[in-house]
Amino acid sequence: MPEAYENGTEIEVKDLNLWYGDNHALHDISIDIPKNSVTAFIGPSGCGKSTFLRCLNRMNDLIPSCRIEGRVNINGEDIYSKETDVVDLRKRVGMVFQKPNPFPMSIFDNISYGPRIHGMSKKEMPAIVENALKSGALWKEVSDRLNVSALDLSGGQQQRLCIARTLAVKPEVILFDEPCSALDPISTSKIEDVILELKKKYTIVIVTHNMQQAARISDHTAFFLMGDLVEFDKTAQIFESPQEKATEDYITGRFG
Amino acid sequence: MTRTKYQETLGILKANIREMGKLSQDAIHNSVIALKNLDVNLAETVIDGDQVIDDYELRIEKCVSQIISLQSPTAGDMRLVTSCLKIAIDLERMSDLAFDIAQSTKRIEEEHIKPLIDIPKMAEIAENMLEQVMIAFANNDVKLAESVAKLDDEIDRTFYEVWKELITMMAQDENIINYASQLLFVIRYLERIGDHACNVCESVVYIASGKREELN
Repeated sequence: MPEAYENGTEIEVKDLNLWYGDNHALHDISIDIPKNSVTAFIGPSGCGKSTFLRCLNRMNDLIPSCRIEGRVNINGEDIYSKETDVVDLRKRVGMVFQKPNPFPMSIFDNISYGPRIHGMSKKEMPAIVENALKSGALWKEVSDRLNVSALDLSGGQQQRLCIARTLAVKPEVILFDEPCSALDPISTSKIEDVILELKKKYTIVIVTHNMQQAARISDHTAFFLMGDLVEFDKTAQIFESPQEKATEDYITGRFG
Repeated sequence: MTRTKYQETLGILKANIREMGKLSQDAIHNSVIALKNLDVNLAETVIDGDQVIDDYELRIEKCVSQIISLQSPTAGDMRLVTSCLKIAIDLERMSDLAFDIAQSTKRIEEEHIKPLIDIPKMAEIAENMLEQVMIAFANNDVKLAESVAKLDDEIDRTFYEVWKELITMMAQDENIINYASQLLFVIRYLERIGDHACNVCESVVYIASGKREELN
């Protein structure tokens, strides 16, 4: 486990276990995720990294057979307590998925949708949309056509739109679940640049199958295997001298 | 085991280092035999052989560039690949120093004043260091690499003794200045060879453990 963090801890997870029915999918996961930095989750398919990511904004609540024990605190607040408003939690902890999923509406409406349902006034919308698109590095490309359908954008642009949409509701944490796996290298670079910029204001957690992406953009890396958190350390340490043989075998491509 | 082609390439890289290590070791051995026997033909063989070792360095450099650009090595593989580049430079420098010893042999015009004992002893330790560190390299053996580096102390000690002896001899008889100064160069070259062997020991420790140790 890395030493004390420069900007403090954003997410504290203690002894988290998760079951899908009888399948014990996550085993005693404890991890402190630092504030204003990028933390990458890596591991082979089925290792539990995406399942664990979804624990951080209670997306697994939507799966009926899913049962969770343990504690997840975000900024000191237990997100699994009865008092937690899940809609508010998902505003605080935004998520960007593998496949860009814009709403079938205009670019402007895609961005303003979230702020509107969270009660922000209509008058503020143009500024909110502009700022979100600027932070998502999409403004220059779409500022003259905010009323066209978001579905007309390229895959990379759609993904940046989804990031901008997440930013519009002013989250604290952004979870990325393989955000570049459907994108070409140029679009991937743009998303990576956006993530590096966003970490100045937000805490980023990213699941990726791309080892080099994890190495390029993350400050810390967690390696998962068969539902266990095998190793968590500074990214440079993981990619130069991992302490666990399983980590070494995975990142050097000897299995997986 | 996956990435078979990649594993093969790493194997080829390691084999190249070991072959280069053997050639450098032979060059050191032959250069000092040539000096001991004032055998100009053998000295020429060492000088001619230097090109082969230079070619190995280039081959290793190309292999490393290719692995980095095509395979993105990480962790232990990354440590191996980057260290092979450093080891190749050390081995090439060692063979350059053997080349220099061979050149000194050619410059000596007179017979030895007395049989050479300490210089072959220094060379023997250096050769042994190189042989052992190549075994440590092949087996990722940290302990062996650390113990090999300690042998350099004996080379350094002998260097200072012989250096003093040669200076004293030159002070007593100025007719031997050309001869003794060539031997001064030779002991300096052997002392440097020992230092390069220590560098290789440090690289082996880094490859095997990820730790950077100062062994020189």
